[in-house]
Amino acid sequence: MAQPSSFVVDTRPIWILLLQSVRQPLLLATGAAIYFAVRSVGPPVDLDPAGHRALAVFALCVFYWVFDVLPLMITSILAIILLPLTGVLPAKEAYALFGSEAVFFILGAFILAAAMMKSGLSARLALMILSRFGHEPISLLRGIFVLNATMSFFMSEHAVAAMTFPILVELIAALHLPASRDSYGRALFLAMAWGSTIGGVATLLGGARAPLALGILREVTGDSYSFTEWAALNVPLTLSLSVAAWIVLRTFFPIGVLDVSKAEQAVEERLMKIGRMTLQERLVAGVMIATIACWIVLGESFGLANIALAAVVVLFAIGAVQWRDVEGYVNWGLILMYGGAISLGSALHKSGAATWLADQTIASWASGPVTVILLITASAVLLTEMMSNSAAVAILMPLSIAVAGQFDIDPRLMAPLVAVPAGLSFILPIGTPANAMAYSSGYLKVSHLIIPGLILHLTALVIFNLLVWFYWPLLGVAS
Amino acid sequence: MSPNPGFLKLDLAIRGIVVDDSLRGRNDLFHAPTVRGPVARSVELVLPGEVLVSAPVDEAFTTDSPYSLLQEADRFYLQAGDERAEVQIVGAPGYYAKKTRSGLPMWRIGSSYGPYLAINPASRCAFSAKGSQCQFCDASTQGVDRDEPIPVEDVVDTVRAAFAEGAIDFVYLHIGYVDSEDSGVRFLEPYVRAIKRHFDTLVAVQLQPPRDNRWIDYIYAIGVDALSYSIQIHDEEILKSLCVGRVEQVGRQRYYDALAHAAQIFPNGTVWSDLIVGLEPTESTIAGVDSLVDMGVLPVLSVFRPLGDTDLRDHPMPDTAEVAPVFAHMFERVREAGININWVRDLSFAVTPFEARYFSDPDAAVSGALGPLYRSRLGNLAVRNLSRLRRRLRVRQVNDSFGSSNL
Repeated sequence: MAQPSSFVVDTRPIWILLLQSVRQPLLLATGAAIYFAVRSVGPPVDLDPAGHRALAVFALCVFYWVFDVLPLMITSILAIILLPLTGVLPAKEAYALFGSEAVFFILGAFILAAAMMKSGLSARLALMILSRFGHEPISLLRGIFVLNATMSFFMSEHAVAAMTFPILVELIAALHLPASRDSYGRALFLAMAWGSTIGGVATLLGGARAPLALGILREVTGDSYSFTEWAALNVPLTLSLSVAAWIVLRTFFPIGVLDVSKAEQAVEERLMKIGRMTLQERLVAGVMIATIACWIVLGESFGLANIALAAVVVLFAIGAVQWRDVEGYVNWGLILMYGGAISLGSALHKSGAATWLADQTIASWASGPVTVILLITASAVLLTEMMSNSAAVAILMPLSIAVAGQFDIDPRLMAPLVAVPAGLSFILPIGTPANAMAYSSGYLKVSHLIIPGLILHLTALVIFNLLVWFYWPLLGVAS
Repeated sequence: MSPNPGFLKLDLAIRGIVVDDSLRGRNDLFHAPTVRGPVARSVELVLPGEVLVSAPVDEAFTTDSPYSLLQEADRFYLQAGDERAEVQIVGAPGYYAKKTRSGLPMWRIGSSYGPYLAINPASRCAFSAKGSQCQFCDASTQGVDRDEPIPVEDVVDTVRAAFAEGAIDFVYLHIGYVDSEDSGVRFLEPYVRAIKRHFDTLVAVQLQPPRDNRWIDYIYAIGVDALSYSIQIHDEEILKSLCVGRVEQVGRQRYYDALAHAAQIFPNGTVWSDLIVGLEPTESTIAGVDSLVDMGVLPVLSVFRPLGDTDLRDHPMPDTAEVAPVFAHMFERVREAGININWVRDLSFAVTPFEARYFSDPDAAVSGALGPLYRSRLGNLAVRNLSRLRRRLRVRQVNDSFGSSNL
C-alpha cells in the first residue's frame, strides 16, 4: 500500500501544470522537426550526404539531451537506432561501438563501488574519517569535505555523496540545526557536494565523464590515457580547488555552532553499531587496493577495463559479493547512455560531420589554440550547469576532436579539456547529483550559492587554464 | 406557502410534513434514516426549480407541520392551508429491495439522496464508542453502528445496482470518527480505489480531520474528488458542550486547519463543511460561515432536528424567518469569494450555497444558471474528466521526481 509521503500535490496554478504537461510532447515534436528541417535543406557543399544525415541525428540528440525530453539513455538508444536507419553507419558497426572498452570500464567501476557500499566498507571509512576529524565544528566541516573529496578518488562522486548524505542528515539532526537559517548546516551539505565534485575530477574513478571522453577519444583517434597519467594531470587541480573551495566555504558560511559533541557521539554510536571489520569488508578492501595498484602499474599493458572486470571476477570468485547485492547499485541507464554517445561520436567523426560542424562553430570563432581551449573550457562549464555532465561530454567531445585537427592541437588534450570542466558544477541542482542531494536537504537555496558558486567557478576556470598551459605540458600533454 | 423554493425547502426541512393517511402504507416513498445522525425518517421531494428536499415525516416535531403531502391520481401535491403546489417524489429506488453477493440488503449499505449514493461502510463511530458522540446524533441508536465494516465487494455491488437503474450520479462515502493518525483515510482507501476502478464517477468523502495534512494530500491522490470535515457548530463553548468528542479527540482548530489545507489541494468548491443551523445563535453561525468562506471552503447549512432518540429531543426548533438571513449571508459571501457553487449541490438534507441563492436578491438566482449544464449528461462527463485531468496534473509520485533528476 502506498504511503502518504510517496505523493506530492503540486499546488502551482493549473495553467503552469498544463503547460508543463504538454512540454514533453511539444519538445518531442520540436526535436523531430529539427531533424527533418536539417534533412530537408540538403547537404552543404563541403559535407557528403552521410555526414549530413549524421548531423541531423546529432541535432536531434543534442536537443533531446539539452532539454531532457527523454531520459538520457533513451536518447542514446535513439541515436543507435537512427545511425543505421539513416545509413550513416551499418547496423553491425553502430552496435559494435556499444562494446567500447570505456563502457566496460564504467561497468567494472560501478560494480567495484557497489561492492564497497554493499559490504559496508565505504560507510566504515566515512565514519572512521569523521571520528578522527569531527571533534570541533571546523574540523567536522573539514572532515566532511576531505572525506568526500578523497573517497571520490576511488568511487563515483555520485555514489560518495549518496553514501555520506544520510550520515550527514543524522549528524545535523543530532545537532538540531534549523534548516531555514543555519549557516553551518548549509556549509556541511556544501562540503559534501563540493568535496565530491572536486575529488571526482582527480581520477578516472570519480565519475563516468572521464571514461566517456576517453571512449570517444579512443574510437576516433585510437589514443587514450593511463590511470596514472589522468590522475597526474588532475590531482593538482583537485588540491588547489580544495583550498579555494575551503576559503569560499569559510568566507560565505560562517560557523555559528560551538559544540558538535552530539554529532561526534552519533558517529561513535554508528561505529559501535557496525562493530569490527567483517571478512567481507576485508576482502573487498584487499581487492580494491590490488585493483588500484594494477591500474597504476599495469594499466597501459592490460587495459583499464580488463583490470576492472578482472577485479569484479575476483570479488565474485572469493565470495565477497553476490550478484543480487550489486545489480541494484549499477547504473545500467548510464551504461546505455555512454554506449550510444560513443557510437554517435564515432559516426560524426567518420562521416565528416564533426569536422564540418567544428568549422562552422568553434573553428570560425577561434583565432588560435588559446581561444580554442578557452572556448571549449567555457562551453563545458556552461553546458554542465544546464544539463547532465555526461550529455555535455557527449556533445562537446566529437566537436573538440575535430577542432583539434584543424588547429594542430594534440587531440589527446581534448579529453581532459572537456571532461574535467564538465565535472565542475557548483551552483545548480541539475549540475551534479551531489548538488541535487545537497539541495534536497532543505538547507540550501539557489540564492545561497549564486555568489560563492560563481566565485568558485571562476577560480576553477583560472586554475584549470593555468594548469593546462603551464603544468600539463610538463607531462607531455600540450597544445 | 412560499413561492420561493429556497424558503419552502428550509421550512419543510424544519417543520417536516404530515403524511396523508392514504400514503401511510407506501414504504416505497419513504427513506429510512441510514445516512447520518441528524437525518430523520423522510420523504424526498423535488420542489419547483429542481430543488431537492428531504422532508422529515413521522417525527414528534412534524406533527404540527402546516404542510401535508397528498396524492391525486398519479400526481403528488404539497398542501398548506388553501395553497397547493405540485411536487415530485423521489421514491425509494429499486435496488433497495436487492441483496449483495454476500446477502446483505442493499438499502442497509447505500441510501440515495438526490443524485448521491451515500454509504457508510464503517462499523461504528469512535466518538460513540468512547461515549463522546455529538448530542444531536442518533447514529448509534438507528442501527448505523455494526460489528464489522461492510466488505468492499458489497459496496461495489450496491454502487453497480444504483448506477444500473440510473438512480445516482455520484458516490458519497462518510464515516464517523476513527481514532488513528489518518482518521480513517486508510480504511476508506480500498473503497475509493474499488469504486474508481469499476465506475466512472466522482467520489465525495466525509470524515474527521487527520492529525497530519499529508493524509489530505493522500486522499486526493487516491481519487477522492470532494472532501468534507464538518465542524457542525462554530461557537467554541456550544461545540464543547454538545460535541465533546470533536473537541477532545480532534480539536476545534484542527477542523479549520485541515479544511484550509484541503482547500489548497482540492478544486475550488469541492471542500465543504456542514454547520447546523439552530444549535447556536445565528450570529455565531454567520461567523462560522465567514471563517469557512475566508479559507476557500464551501459552507453547507443543515437544519437542526430534535430527533426522538437523542439527548436534544427537547431542544427548541429553529424558526424559519429567524434563520433565513444566515442562508442569504452564506450565498453572498460565497459569491463574493468566488467559490464554485456547482460542485456541491442538490443535497436534499442540507442547503448548499447553490440553493441559498434563492434567499438573496432576485438577480442572484442567475448565479445558478450553470446548474442545468452541470446536471446534464454532457456536463457530468466534462466535470468527471476535468477532475481526472486536474489530479493527473497535480499529483506526483516522489519516485518520479527522483527519476527526473537523473540521480
